Amino acid sequence: MGSKIARLKPRPLNMDCFFNHKVILFLILALTLLCKSNALSSSSSSTKHTNNWAVLVCTSRFWFNYRHMANTLSLYRTVKRLGIPDERIILMLADDMACNARNKYPAQVFNNENHRLNLYGDNVEVDYRGYEVTVENFLRVLTGRHETAVPRSKRLLSDEGSHILLYMTGHGGDEFLKFQDSEELQSHDLADAVKQMKEKRRFKELLIMVDTCQASTLFLQLHSPGVLAIGSSMKGENSYSHHLDSDVGVSVVDRFTFYTLAFFERLDMYNNASLSSLFSSYNPSMLMSTAYYRTDLYQRPLEGVPITNFFGSVMETVHTDSAYRHSSAKTKMPLDQALSQGERRTLTIVQNQISDLNTKEERSTLKCKWSTLLDKGEIIEDFDTLVNYGLVLMLPLVLVSTWLSREGVK
Amino acid sequence: MAFLRSILFFVLLLHGFFSPIFAGSVGEEEFSEELLLKPLPDRKVLANFHFETRAPPTDIHGRHHRLFPKAIYQLVQKFRVREMELSFTQGRWNYEQWGGFDPVSSSNAKPPGVELWAAFDVPPDQVDATWKNLTHTLSGLFCASINFLESSTAYSAPDWAFRPFSGSLRYGALPREAVCTENLTPWLKLLPCRDKAGLAAIMDRPSIYRGFYHSQRLRLISTEFGSHEGVDSGIVLEQTLTVVLQPVAQRNSMTYSSGSVLQPTWSISSIFGRKVGGSCVLAKHSTVFLELDRGLVAELKKLQREDGKFEVYDAVSEGSWSNPGFELSVTPDRVIKEVNSLHSESSSILFEFSLEKYSYSEPFDVWFRWKLPVVWSCLQAPFHVSRFLMGSGNERGSIAISLKSTELSEGFHVSDAIGDGCRLRVDVFQIVPWYVKVYFHTLQVFVDGQPQIVTDVVEKIRVSPSEDKVSPGVLEMVLKFPCSVRSAALTTEFDKGFLHIDEYPPDANQGFDIPSAVISFPDFQASVHFLEENSSNNSPILSKFQESNPVLSYTEVLLVPLTTPDFSMPYNVITITCTVFALYFGSLLNVLRRRVGEEERFLKSKEIAPCRCHKDWSAIQIVRQAKR
Repeated sequence: MGSKIARLKPRPLNMDCFFNHKVILFLILALTLLCKSNALSSSSSSTKHTNNWAVLVCTSRFWFNYRHMANTLSLYRTVKRLGIPDERIILMLADDMACNARNKYPAQVFNNENHRLNLYGDNVEVDYRGYEVTVENFLRVLTGRHETAVPRSKRLLSDEGSHILLYMTGHGGDEFLKFQDSEELQSHDLADAVKQMKEKRRFKELLIMVDTCQASTLFLQLHSPGVLAIGSSMKGENSYSHHLDSDVGVSVVDRFTFYTLAFFERLDMYNNASLSSLFSSYNPSMLMSTAYYRTDLYQRPLEGVPITNFFGSVMETVHTDSAYRHSSAKTKMPLDQALSQGERRTLTIVQNQISDLNTKEERSTLKCKWSTLLDKGEIIEDFDTLVNYGLVLMLPLVLVSTWLSREGVK
Repeated sequence: MAFLRSILFFVLLLHGFFSPIFAGSVGEEEFSEELLLKPLPDRKVLANFHFETRAPPTDIHGRHHRLFPKAIYQLVQKFRVREMELSFTQGRWNYEQWGGFDPVSSSNAKPPGVELWAAFDVPPDQVDATWKNLTHTLSGLFCASINFLESSTAYSAPDWAFRPFSGSLRYGALPREAVCTENLTPWLKLLPCRDKAGLAAIMDRPSIYRGFYHSQRLRLISTEFGSHEGVDSGIVLEQTLTVVLQPVAQRNSMTYSSGSVLQPTWSISSIFGRKVGGSCVLAKHSTVFLELDRGLVAELKKLQREDGKFEVYDAVSEGSWSNPGFELSVTPDRVIKEVNSLHSESSSILFEFSLEKYSYSEPFDVWFRWKLPVVWSCLQAPFHVSRFLMGSGNERGSIAISLKSTELSEGFHVSDAIGDGCRLRVDVFQIVPWYVKVYFHTLQVFVDGQPQIVTDVVEKIRVSPSEDKVSPGVLEMVLKFPCSVRSAALTTEFDKGFLHIDEYPPDANQGFDIPSAVISFPDFQASVHFLEENSSNNSPILSKFQESNPVLSYTEVLLVPLTTPDFSMPYNVITITCTVFALYFGSLLNVLRRRVGEEERFLKSKEIAPCRCHKDWSAIQIVRQAKR
């Protein structure tokens, strides 16, 4: 027994050295990553809120789920009223209720039995409908991984300055939401998609609003910063419909959405009501469930965030002293090289006008920029040699680190 | 610098001065809006909106457009579309009641759902890729799931039975696509006045979608990339909306001696809920037509003869226009009669109302009041076509197409055929999805109930069998029947295939649709010629009517129930299999790994009294570790 142990003894040492070596490499890697992520987070927190997007999803098929479509269309109407244009709203409806054969009021959808408001109106733009509303397409919209042929109207073209409202309604359960009664979106899928969006800088802030049974469980896996979540019910609770329209024959709206809309009906585009006032407007006895808010990933105090940051649209104009300097320098000059002789003449006229506006000093800086651009182009051209140099440089680094680790072990 | 700028300014000025002159010489963009109203025999009213936008060829006119929609122009340029037709339809055209021979039914009656066909001017190997991109673009443009036609199982390339473009044509249909406001709105946005002015302003969404049938169609013809005729007419965009509406019947409708009930009175405002607030100022033609078809005119003439009055259609009194059979509230600007050589005793009549003199403050509305109950029938296609499924069970079945001769073909037989040589040509084009596996060799033909040798009737046939999950089955046929035929039937048998669990739609239990088959009668031309004074200033809808297109009808969509699995089954199977495996391997390992003898020896050596826990594997492990 003893001899066995003696023979085995050197191995852990070996392992240790290997381990140390690995640790050093790992540390270097981690450091570089940390630097990068620091830069990333600082850049994302410093970017301005420039635009608003909304993704509104109704995941239920079949006529008896009329209320889910009415919920979604009510939200659609609200965000449109508060200023988000149609091209920045992705509307997904899993079934056709408005022109359904069972609908007594063709081309109309109501969310109240008084029928005062036709949600379908004359100007609805549905981006995904029917069989297209699948988990796959939903995740593709969020992460922006589409086929090349997919038109712009079906893409979420948000950027790092975007505030996105994601509203979902349908039937759900503990950590899942059903799509079309045939597949499920799980809380992990949602969290992964949101994380990917964060990494691709597709949003600055994201508000997820879900009206389904056990909605709060859908947010459990979220861990990306800048995400705010509201659910209609806690784990183990159901979300109920508000009332039944005996003319339409089915329930027309859910309680959570109904009271959300009741809150929004009092507001207009210029209102400064805060998110916390929306959150505090939910009364558990009226909802028959407890609304859940997840705010730990969100940095700003909710009292200071106007509701129109998510449900409305910013139209901020930025004042700049010299309008054409940067953009023209970057876009026009390379174009000039590519264009034919005839077109170049007109461009030079434009150029002259620009230089008319700018001083001569700035002109020289333009030239500088152009030359650096050219240099960069050359570097990129012999990319292979760059990689080779990098590999050669890596070798001594690895050797040194292994040598160091050996020394450490001895 | 200033010098250069002044040159630029001068050039711009010159351009601005001369371009209208050039444009005037080569033809300008044109837009026209027209509405055709027609009473139907079954107490309904047909409304056919026709909008036409023309853009002159790019090489003469340039790329800038004043009226022509930019989205469509870009689409034509990008995908090099030579001809395209997209239709959204809900409801089924009733060929028996609403007619099957006139231009409206032949070109505007469409199968339910979405139908798209396009011919491209690209090399043959790029046609499929172009088609795929086109479907995506159209789906974004019209808010519909047209992109499902992208998959090779959904479209096909008809060779000759559908349209004469060989090779570059693709055809696809989605029978279950919902059609609603969101499809109509982008369609209306292509019009220069949108739905804000002109005829499109009366399209009240609820009243249109309450109708029995509505079909919204977009047709593109482009000669941008060279044409066959050598006439370079640029791009023609034709948008039609065909609606069949039911006017509300009055309560106190009198019953006449013959037992027939008076048809309901209707007006534009009663069927659409709105009046026409003038014309779209950008339109060259802005006209409302009221058509009385041949059958109705013949009936009215008969009524007049019975009355003993021989006054022909003129009783104008105080702005209204009346006739023994009916009354119009507005005097028509023109009455146009059809020139008909075949049926000389009756010809249809068009009443034309020009919208130029009406405005928003003085809207146009016309009502049509019947004075006498009239029973008539619309002109039928030579055969009434229907398609149905036969057989039962979830394994196999057969598709049958039945053709029933109408009076028209009998007339044709009497008038034209003296010898036995008279043959009626019928073209059949049918696409069947791959999971309905049609056996084309089982094709059987019955004429007047008697089975026939297939080669006697089928003159030409092209079959492309379906390939599983790759392509649908396509059948193109030319049939020749003797003119005396009363009825004919074609049957083909099929097996039902199995789909992968991921391929079932969420509502698989509803069944699967087989798109409509297209039956055309090339011997008959659906064209109506009208007698007009000045043919140069022709209205587009009338010149459309005069084009000779073969009479066409679509069959019903078939609903095939396929075997659908219990979709929770995979879950059940996985759970049960896992349980069985766990039980099996658990007990196997237990048997193999347990060393009962050693344990007993160990226990004896330690002289521990035997206890119940010695069977517990983990407990034994702990004991062993302690021993070590």
